[in-house]
Amino acid sequence: MSESVPDPILKIDRISKRYGSVQALNNVFTEFFSGEIHAVLGENGAGKSTLVSALAGFVIPDSGEVVFHGQPAPMGHPQRLRELGIAMVHQHFMLVPNFTVEENLALDQIRSLNSPLKLDDLTSRAMELARQLGWEINPKVRTGSLPVGIQQRIEILKALVGDSQVIILDEPTAVLTPEEIDDLFSVLRDLKSQGKAIILIAHKLSEVMSIADVVTVLRKGELIARARIAETNPTQLAEWMVGDLPPSRSESESQVGEVVLSLNEINVKGDRGEVAINGLSLEARAGEVLGIGGVDGNGQLELAEAIVCIRKLDTGSRTSPEKIGYIPQDRQRDGLALSMSIEDNLLAGALEDSNLSKRGLLKSKKIKTWAQKQVENFSIKIGTLSDPVKSLSGGNQQKVIVSRVLSQRPQLIVAVNPTRGLDIKATDFVRTQLAQAAEKGAAVVLISTDLDELAELSTRTVYLNRGQLAESLVGAVSQ
Amino acid sequence: MKGALRTLIVFAGLILILAITLALFGLDVGAALSTIWNGAVGSKAGIARSLVRATPLIFTGLGMVVAWRAGMYNIGGEGQYVMGGLASATLALVVRSWAPAIATPALLVGGALGGALFAAFAGWLHVKRGVQVVISTILLNFVAIEFLKFCVRGPLQKSSGGIFQTEALPNTLMLQRFDRQTDFHSGFFLALIVVVIVAIYLYRTKSGFQMRFSGANPDAARASRFEPGKKQILAMAISGGLCGLAGAVDYTGLIGFVGDGFSQDWGFLAIPVALLGNLNPVGAAGAAVYFGGLFAGCEVLQRSEPIGDTIVPLIQGVAVLGVVGMQRWLENRTNQSKGAD
Repeated sequence: MSESVPDPILKIDRISKRYGSVQALNNVFTEFFSGEIHAVLGENGAGKSTLVSALAGFVIPDSGEVVFHGQPAPMGHPQRLRELGIAMVHQHFMLVPNFTVEENLALDQIRSLNSPLKLDDLTSRAMELARQLGWEINPKVRTGSLPVGIQQRIEILKALVGDSQVIILDEPTAVLTPEEIDDLFSVLRDLKSQGKAIILIAHKLSEVMSIADVVTVLRKGELIARARIAETNPTQLAEWMVGDLPPSRSESESQVGEVVLSLNEINVKGDRGEVAINGLSLEARAGEVLGIGGVDGNGQLELAEAIVCIRKLDTGSRTSPEKIGYIPQDRQRDGLALSMSIEDNLLAGALEDSNLSKRGLLKSKKIKTWAQKQVENFSIKIGTLSDPVKSLSGGNQQKVIVSRVLSQRPQLIVAVNPTRGLDIKATDFVRTQLAQAAEKGAAVVLISTDLDELAELSTRTVYLNRGQLAESLVGAVSQ
Repeated sequence: MKGALRTLIVFAGLILILAITLALFGLDVGAALSTIWNGAVGSKAGIARSLVRATPLIFTGLGMVVAWRAGMYNIGGEGQYVMGGLASATLALVVRSWAPAIATPALLVGGALGGALFAAFAGWLHVKRGVQVVISTILLNFVAIEFLKFCVRGPLQKSSGGIFQTEALPNTLMLQRFDRQTDFHSGFFLALIVVVIVAIYLYRTKSGFQMRFSGANPDAARASRFEPGKKQILAMAISGGLCGLAGAVDYTGLIGFVGDGFSQDWGFLAIPVALLGNLNPVGAAGAAVYFGGLFAGCEVLQRSEPIGDTIVPLIQGVAVLGVVGMQRWLENRTNQSKGAD
């Protein structure tokens, strides 16, 4: 080893991890150095989370090792790794909202349940660190009442208390306002100047460009590139992240008809009142599959709910058909009543069917026959129709939703990540059904973060970024 | 089938608990049980007494079934029962000169409306203001009971004065009785009709289906465009309407006036009735008749034995705790055997 190149503090040596049929990480190699901010960049599903989980001991890789200070690190022991000096700041804070700041800090330090609780002793180190960083945090305040940015600082304090040399931050900016992001970045620069190695998980290029010294890019579990930020540029990074897009289905395959859905300059708010969709316009025509790609959390849920008329438009206008079929992303939360029967859950999508009810009265016998036919047509594996729908596997639960949607021959189908969590057979089934529905003349809006799915199904693809549409994914991520 | 078997197990368990309770009172268990049995079903008078006790329980039990099926844990049956009786008694001041064929149904409808509005308010608070319906309905019980005391001491008090109750309802406006010797009145048949209507509504109509779906998963109901909030307010209105109807039926069928002691805990007892009936309308009606018989039998026991007047509420309490405890126990057993599969 030459003198000019220091040894890495932490090294990931050919790590692989497989989940079922998904290769989350494949022979990934990278090195982290003290006094550097190192961004790990990639799309949803690129393997970033698996990588940092392996680093922090939450995941045990199938092969490969983590080397810390030249020694193999113990895998799968978060607590021991922390004691060695590798700490993680989670994206979802590990704080008790009803505890005060000092109680949360103390909770983190308690090692034994039978020693007397002295809050001051347990928190003095953390409060000292806070003073050094110039933070004024009142230890007596209830944590839940603090702004998110301050809560994150408490998480960072927890990570620093053990004299950690490596701090891993999992998408730390996702929950922050722009001002809070600036504050966080100046803290990270401080820590860097103290000689800490900072590992930052990110998918926003602008942030990576402004804070990181080095970047590692992952795509579908593979190491794509490792570069110094000074020697690269946003376009290059975006191309590394996205790669070559699979070719789209050509439009000539299907007959595109009249406009079925049109959204005009719509603004939509999220559940917490934040702007989720910002001045978006789009049209979908009969017979086409309009793919909407992009990274999760850019307004996908709100857009879908606005299209199917269950979320209020703040401004703008929407023209949508009478018959809309909706395949929500989270089937257990938004799709099914798990305790109710398979028959009832099928019926939930077909209540307006005039064969099944008349003047508000349900035709029980016809419903039973109809439900039986749905189960047969879509080869849903069930015991009996009166079993609760929660007795079915995930794939069969999804088939219940898809079959009830398609049975009504909707003019418009909105599907959000319709194959997430399904095995290959069920995935194929759902995709074939959606493609056939479009061929039969429905307009299908497919909102998906899976680029392969979009390529396979869409006749036209646009990308969603911060509530607005972009023509290309490179355009969407580099904004 | 499973539900029916479960209900049978609970029934049997209740009798065992009852036997132990009686033994603790130092009574001859066999003799006491037979007194209760005879008091409940041993004679025409006994059967009549059981069915009269069961009548308000059927209405209020159905009320709980509807609300709980919609995910609204209405604990306010007692207050809604009181408000129903009060609304009916107030309306009586207006309709007493009308023809009975119109006046009596009007009194019943008025009672139902009184309970419905009172409960719908709690439903509205839940859906629009995020106030848990459990909390608001418990508190509204106190409001209703205090309001009752105020009314029978003020605006609705009998003109002859001195007694805290409303004017007696003229006999012509009372529900029909079939026998001079007993209190049995046509309210019981009305209750049976309402059982059928509620069962049809919940299981054979679109609106009832949407209501049950909203209770099982409000998020999925929203995604299916069922407007779960509206369904839940409607469920509370129906639930309160049924409890209010119970009050109106007791007023027009049995008591004939509304006084301080108008409420006999029928609104509270509705909860174990609904639970014992597996939140099913027919099951709840069966449970109501069972409890009605039990209470009627205990009244006879109380009169025949020197055990003081605490035995009826005590047995009520023991029976209710027994129902809830056994339901819980059976549920845990089912879950455990599922987990072991």
